[in-house]
Amino acid sequence: MEPTDEQPNVSGAVMKLELLIAMANQIGDFFSPYPPERATEGLRNHLRTYWDPRMRSALLAHIDAGGEGLSELVVEGARLLRDDAAEKDGYYGPPKR
Amino acid sequence: MPNPRKPEKETITICAYCGVGCGFKAETIGNEIVRMTPWKDGKSNHGHSCIKGRFSYDYYRHPDRVKTPMIRASIDDPWQEVSWEEAFAHAASEIKRIQAKYGRASVGGVSSSRCTNEEIFLTMKFVRAVLGNNNIDNCARICHSPTQFGLSATVGAGAASQHFDSILQADVIMVVGANPTEGHPVFGSMMKRRIRQGAKLIVIDPRRTETVDSPHCRADVHLALRPGTNVAILNSLAHVIVRENLHAPEFIKSRCEWQEFEHWAELVGSDEYSPENIGAIAGVDPEDIRRAARIYASGPRSTVYYGLGVTEHSQGSTGVMCLGNLALSCGMYGREGVGVNPLRGQGNVQGGSCLGSWPHVLTGYRFVTDDATRSSFEAEWGVELDPEPGLRLPNMFDAALTGHFKGMYIMGEDPVQSDPNQNHIIAALRKMECVIVHDIFLNETSKYAHVLLPGSSSLEKDGTFTNAERRISRVRKVVEPLAGYQDWEVTVKLMNALGYDVQYAHAGEVLDELARLSPAYSGASFELLDRVGSAQWPVDTKAPEGTEVLHMEQFPRANGLGTFMLTGFVPTRERISEQYPLLLTTGRILSQYNVGTQTRRTANSQWHPEDVLEMSRGDMQVRGLHTGDRVTVASRFGATQLKVVESNRVNPGIVYTTFHHAESKANAVTSDLSDWATNCPEYKVTAVEVAKVKPDEKSRARTDTAHPAHREHEAEALVAVEDA
Repeated sequence: MEPTDEQPNVSGAVMKLELLIAMANQIGDFFSPYPPERATEGLRNHLRTYWDPRMRSALLAHIDAGGEGLSELVVEGARLLRDDAAEKDGYYGPPKR
Repeated sequence: MPNPRKPEKETITICAYCGVGCGFKAETIGNEIVRMTPWKDGKSNHGHSCIKGRFSYDYYRHPDRVKTPMIRASIDDPWQEVSWEEAFAHAASEIKRIQAKYGRASVGGVSSSRCTNEEIFLTMKFVRAVLGNNNIDNCARICHSPTQFGLSATVGAGAASQHFDSILQADVIMVVGANPTEGHPVFGSMMKRRIRQGAKLIVIDPRRTETVDSPHCRADVHLALRPGTNVAILNSLAHVIVRENLHAPEFIKSRCEWQEFEHWAELVGSDEYSPENIGAIAGVDPEDIRRAARIYASGPRSTVYYGLGVTEHSQGSTGVMCLGNLALSCGMYGREGVGVNPLRGQGNVQGGSCLGSWPHVLTGYRFVTDDATRSSFEAEWGVELDPEPGLRLPNMFDAALTGHFKGMYIMGEDPVQSDPNQNHIIAALRKMECVIVHDIFLNETSKYAHVLLPGSSSLEKDGTFTNAERRISRVRKVVEPLAGYQDWEVTVKLMNALGYDVQYAHAGEVLDELARLSPAYSGASFELLDRVGSAQWPVDTKAPEGTEVLHMEQFPRANGLGTFMLTGFVPTRERISEQYPLLLTTGRILSQYNVGTQTRRTANSQWHPEDVLEMSRGDMQVRGLHTGDRVTVASRFGATQLKVVESNRVNPGIVYTTFHHAESKANAVTSDLSDWATNCPEYKVTAVEVAKVKPDEKSRARTDTAHPAHREHEAEALVAVEDA
């Protein structure tokens, strides 16, 4: 049988939400000394480049549900993941489309 | 009486213990090693060695070695010995079943820095090309992943800028969170030689280590900071450099992004990082911070060597960036005797980092999200690759607990013993349906495994290692593999069993393939290494025999310039409290190696029969403790028992232990906090309390007692531990 991307027997977030929130806020803490626009871009690029897509979608789902426990910088930066125009070179050479 | 054991043959290879990678002559009679003698032409050791490489090789024929593959349907069943073919067929059918049921991304693998470059590369290829996802990680995740991140960010290459010999031209040596006289003894000896010749020594370490004060080694300044304040202290050094105009404007203007320097100077130059302010936070005399900064900046050749005391923190990557910032600001790059250099714990951590055994990058630190990089691999391997980053090692375990991750190929690693928060790892492994352990011993993780593939030690295989100075050296087969196959052959057969057809006549062909796919290794081959002995990457058309010093003219970043990162200090969430008033930190000792899997199975154990807890006199007195007492060390995460000894090497409020013995269970105590960028665990800071073991507790088995209120899933983990 060919492996598929569908996961009929798996549901819910890939990791406990508390872990994702704590990790995301730590990333936000790092970028907070940067000017606001660079801080959100840096956070977005970090998530895009280093986080498994399932982790990103779980974080975004939490933001859609109110984003409780997340810093403002994380919420703003993570939202840029949905903005195709944000897909450009960042601090660590994340991808170009 | 003449020695009746005259060796018949000698094979040049390297020691696979620490990141120095000493060259050795392995002398044999038949298929038995009778002596290891340091090789005088070895370029990282020049004929020197330590007692691990010299004497600690007998583990290869220890009775505990696994010689036959084994399988079982459930971890509660006994192991069943099977043929290699049966083991491969079983592993392959389980992986296929799991992927069909839970999806392609429900399995993954981890490679080891104890394995060769060729094996690390093949494990990465196995996960990406055969399993079809990017859930591949390396054990460097839990030690030096912040090095890759922090140095890549500032100077574009996550590796040592210098070769070891370069220290012989240094005027100032700054050692941060490392203890080379114990952890990297052959390099430590060279450092001492330079100190005897008059080089100044600055040590930043919570403990008065042997590097701070021992024969031939005395620090001019020792900043005995509180664990967890590296970034604050390094920013404060930078504060002094910026405020006193000790930086190197010409270098910064010609070699770095000037605007980023200005942003950085504004941050570190702010009053927040004044020596008075930070001295109070870090428990260090402000004048010592000033002295250290002035000595470092004045050079003229200042070099930095650092270890896990920098990386294993919740700001590990930030700490590494601080070192890059500091060196750039003072122009300490691009010459002999300067630079920033990670001291790697395991023999092939650098190789593990270079060869794409990470969920987000392919070889040469090139992102999986980059189409051009991916397509070069797709052309070579004939498959389409996943364009999204995969799960990191700690995330694999996190995802196992939610049912998203079900199977794993673990090559030469022992996460139960090595990874943080043991209870959490065990609970995660128990939720997996197929754990394949490929190792030379039945390690702690194998208790939770379904397939056991016998491994070969570095004395039984061909390949290459890359040491801490980027030096690629040959590992040569000294004796025949005990279980019949070299590790790289096992990985290939596993790939074949899953329907991916690939063959290599010998390990050199794997190196040829990885050289085609990795720019810095493009000139590497068995033929080259046989001819020149060893070569430091980049080894390519521009440098056909390798490169000793990096960044001579430019930095490998898009614009060729070094940059400054804004490294604000964020205190760790791990804090002392009334209940846990002491800070525990960890380190290692000369005669043993990491968790001791190998060295404990040799006579080296006589030098270090057990791990002990070092504690200051005052802290012992208020607790009514005496040297030799058995004590419980408890944190919010768990507890263990050790023998306590009074020590003036640690300040009041700090306790210290090594982690070479499994029964010490240091990782049952450490927290689940990790580096913000890489998830490298914060092993170096844990709030604990220490108390004398009551007589009635001594008879009880040492159990872990995680605080049930702290994390919910721990309740499940506790049960797991009691069952084990």
